[in-house]
Amino acid sequence: MTDVAVAHHDHHAAPPRATGFRRLTAPGWLRALWVTPLFFGIGAGLPVLIRWAAHWHPLWNGSVITTVELVTTPLGFLVGLGGFDYWAHYAAGRPTRPEDHSGHGARSWRDYFRVNTDHKVIGVQYVVTTIFFFCVGGLFAMLFRAELAQPGDQFFNPQTFNVLVSDHAALMIFLFVIPAFAGLGNYVIPLMIGAADMAFPRLNALSFWLLPIAGLIMVAGMVTPGGGPSAGWTAYAPLSVHQPLGQVFFNMGVQWAGASSIMTALNFLVTIITMRAPGMTFWRMPLLVWANFTTSLLVVIATPFIAGSQFFVMFDRVLHTNFFEIGGGGYVLGYQHIFWFYSHPAVYIMILPGFGIISEVISTFSRKPIFGYRLMALSLMAILVLGFSVWAHHMFVAGMASWLRVPMMVTSMVIAVPTGVKVFSWLATMWNGKLHFNTPMLFATGFIAMFVLGGLSGIYLASVPIDIHASDTYFIVAHIHYVLYGGSVFTIFAGIYYWFPKMTGRMYNERLGQLHFWLTFIGFNLTFFPMHYIGLQGMPRRVADYAPRFADINLFISIASFGLGASTIVFLYNMARSWRWGERAVGNPWRAMSLEWQVSSPPPIFNFDEIPQVVGTPYEYGVPGAQHAIFGAPKPEPVGAD
Amino acid sequence: MRRGSIIQLVATGVVAAGIATAVALLVPWLPPAYGKEAQRIHFVFWFATVIAIAVFAVVAAVLSYAIIRFRVRPDDDSDGPPTHGHTTLEIVWTAIPAVLVTAISIVSAVVLAQNSHAGTDPLLVNVRAQQFAWSFTYPNGKTYGYLTLPENRSTKLRITSNDVIHSFWVPVLSQKQDAVPGQFNTIVVTPIHTGTFPVICTELCGLGHALMRSHVVIMKENDFNTWYRKGGRAAAGPPGLAVFQSNGCGSCHTFKPAGATGNIGPDLDKLVQYAKQANRGSLTQFIHESIVNPGAYIQPGYQNLMPSTFGQSIPPANLDQLVQYLAQGAKS
Repeated sequence: MTDVAVAHHDHHAAPPRATGFRRLTAPGWLRALWVTPLFFGIGAGLPVLIRWAAHWHPLWNGSVITTVELVTTPLGFLVGLGGFDYWAHYAAGRPTRPEDHSGHGARSWRDYFRVNTDHKVIGVQYVVTTIFFFCVGGLFAMLFRAELAQPGDQFFNPQTFNVLVSDHAALMIFLFVIPAFAGLGNYVIPLMIGAADMAFPRLNALSFWLLPIAGLIMVAGMVTPGGGPSAGWTAYAPLSVHQPLGQVFFNMGVQWAGASSIMTALNFLVTIITMRAPGMTFWRMPLLVWANFTTSLLVVIATPFIAGSQFFVMFDRVLHTNFFEIGGGGYVLGYQHIFWFYSHPAVYIMILPGFGIISEVISTFSRKPIFGYRLMALSLMAILVLGFSVWAHHMFVAGMASWLRVPMMVTSMVIAVPTGVKVFSWLATMWNGKLHFNTPMLFATGFIAMFVLGGLSGIYLASVPIDIHASDTYFIVAHIHYVLYGGSVFTIFAGIYYWFPKMTGRMYNERLGQLHFWLTFIGFNLTFFPMHYIGLQGMPRRVADYAPRFADINLFISIASFGLGASTIVFLYNMARSWRWGERAVGNPWRAMSLEWQVSSPPPIFNFDEIPQVVGTPYEYGVPGAQHAIFGAPKPEPVGAD
Repeated sequence: MRRGSIIQLVATGVVAAGIATAVALLVPWLPPAYGKEAQRIHFVFWFATVIAIAVFAVVAAVLSYAIIRFRVRPDDDSDGPPTHGHTTLEIVWTAIPAVLVTAISIVSAVVLAQNSHAGTDPLLVNVRAQQFAWSFTYPNGKTYGYLTLPENRSTKLRITSNDVIHSFWVPVLSQKQDAVPGQFNTIVVTPIHTGTFPVICTELCGLGHALMRSHVVIMKENDFNTWYRKGGRAAAGPPGLAVFQSNGCGSCHTFKPAGATGNIGPDLDKLVQYAKQANRGSLTQFIHESIVNPGAYIQPGYQNLMPSTFGQSIPPANLDQLVQYLAQGAKS
């Protein structure tokens, strides 16, 4: 019974406090403090022991030990923190512990720093962690833009420059954009479909805790002896096979982040398929739920491929296999085929949830139903299917089978059609509406403009002849930032501002939000638009030094990028200040119809005191008397409550 | 919609199209097209640009019109009309983009086929990439560190790599192709303008990637034939200079006699001093060892990055010329 559970919590603000020796064995940071070094010791000892038993020399092989450590040490940390306690208990055949919900929900800030099974806590943990890595990745960009302000070597040698470029992209992709969407989805999806939580709350908690591990591994790789991973975020073999030790950190960081992605996606799929409130048919789901449904399918199908590609590189390096070693019969382009079979769908993993956010925001702030709701959902599915048939457009100049180029060009071009449908539908939704330009709507509108520009440069790159000229130049850098920054990051900002009142119970500062938008919008365009030009003119990407004729324009880009970086300070200040001192938010400040706005801000610990009965679509603005859901259906017993 | 609104909307679209056209025409987006293939690629570029401007104008017009006309005061609590869709409109905006991208696809596929066609009598040049230099081998067996091409004749470049993936690009010729170890990838270039232009590596290939540059000299066909017959000596100078240049030593090393300014590897002007520090035999012995077995002695402050393949790839006679050339240059 929900009331009972809540009452239970009020008596136990934290899980029952163990005392004395028991404190060392109870899950938490204290246990992590000794279990992590223990597993570290195992990771170092195991290879030595095996090598000793097999008479292999030298006993101490740094490359092997590092690889094993990157598996065991994070596992030790997770074990210490309590990520596996319940499962271990269950697997050992001990009597089932009744779920007391003591690890569920947040009553103080401390609850955000432990294994917590509440999807709302996890959502916030995700968003805050990813914003942290967004800042780190952005800082790297500021550093290498400083280097690029002038031709020649200024601040960094080529090794450091390559590391900064590689880690900038790796952090932004694997530790910011993809998990930021997972975080927003985590918070919002169960609320939107009328569920009390995700289907697998413990798995959900574990998915989150893999993320800081992945991030730390990526960053730690930068300071390894010999230099960090410097083969770009694409880490093409055979270059990546012969990189210094830091490359192993990249290989393993991707594995941890990928595992996190896959587990979250499975959780989303099961939650969306099985836990919708009565009456919530697929055709009544908010488009954000549709978007995360399709994204999760992409993640589950595609992510194992990048895991494979990184394992192969690691095996070539550590086990001396020959996946990509030409001398041993390896196939060099095999890496790119496997890598892009994930990494092209990954660009949809990085934009489809954004499409969902934009649909929610545009409809709410235009006070109109989504135009062509069903076609919007179907176009997501079309992108999902087509997304798997276009990977080789990253390889038009790679020397793959030349017959593949035209078919891959055609499928890439065709993807513009469902994407165009979405853009036109958003425009039609705004048409004749009552537009309120609050910060989320500003970012949504800015997103449409920037994403159309990024989509148009995408058409150029889909065309094989133009791509042959523009491939691997700054034109590509411009394109991916128009779709990933002007696209994905703008939608993440829109989402954060939109759900900030729901997540924190406070309103953000509207004036600061609008200032943030304009600084970002202007800084973004000044930084990235000129890159189209220098790229087409002949400046390749990933170079620390460049021809003197590009000096002036690079100086301009660098200055603009510092402005863009500074705009983030406004965002951080606004978030931090408003979270603490912002005006109290009402349950539904945007007068939106979807379910998350029908409960208090922040929502009750199990989301709904009454299970909603869904009776219509969530976008019936302007329809007199229309409702998305009614409350008052009979209450079911919560699982495991005593 | 009222007639006035339609006029306003169309006017916004025309303004947006005008601005986009101005940006497209006033900025020199593309480098000059000095090859037949480049001219065709530029044609596809402008074909796509016309369509892009049209799409941009439509979106910009609708978006800015909506922002200006449908914006309401914050205290306006009313809702918009409950329009759920319009089947005809949805079919139209699915069909028109489909037609447009089909058109671009067809033009692209035709140009791609034309650009892969080398004609009946192409010149064949083997291009070999390695960290961090290019070498170009002609049918007469001669190898150079830069590319020489005849004007108005197609050349087939067969591109491969010794180590990691590189990418061959001449911006004014537009054609680009990755150099992949273990395979030969072919592109066709047909220059139509004489001059000297940069050759750039566009695939991240390690520390010297930014400096992995060479150049292409495009000559009148007669001049090319003369150059080719004479065995194409790069420039007057000691024979060791040609070996130095054809193996791309200058992209990593500084060596004043050759005008080389690379800074990835040790400064070869200081070879005498290095040889003393290393104390591994005479100056020529030291130089020879450092080329065929670069890991034997690493000058402090530098990393063990130099390919160890030069011992096999440079014929012994040429290697001796190179060693003599370096020893003499370093002493002077």
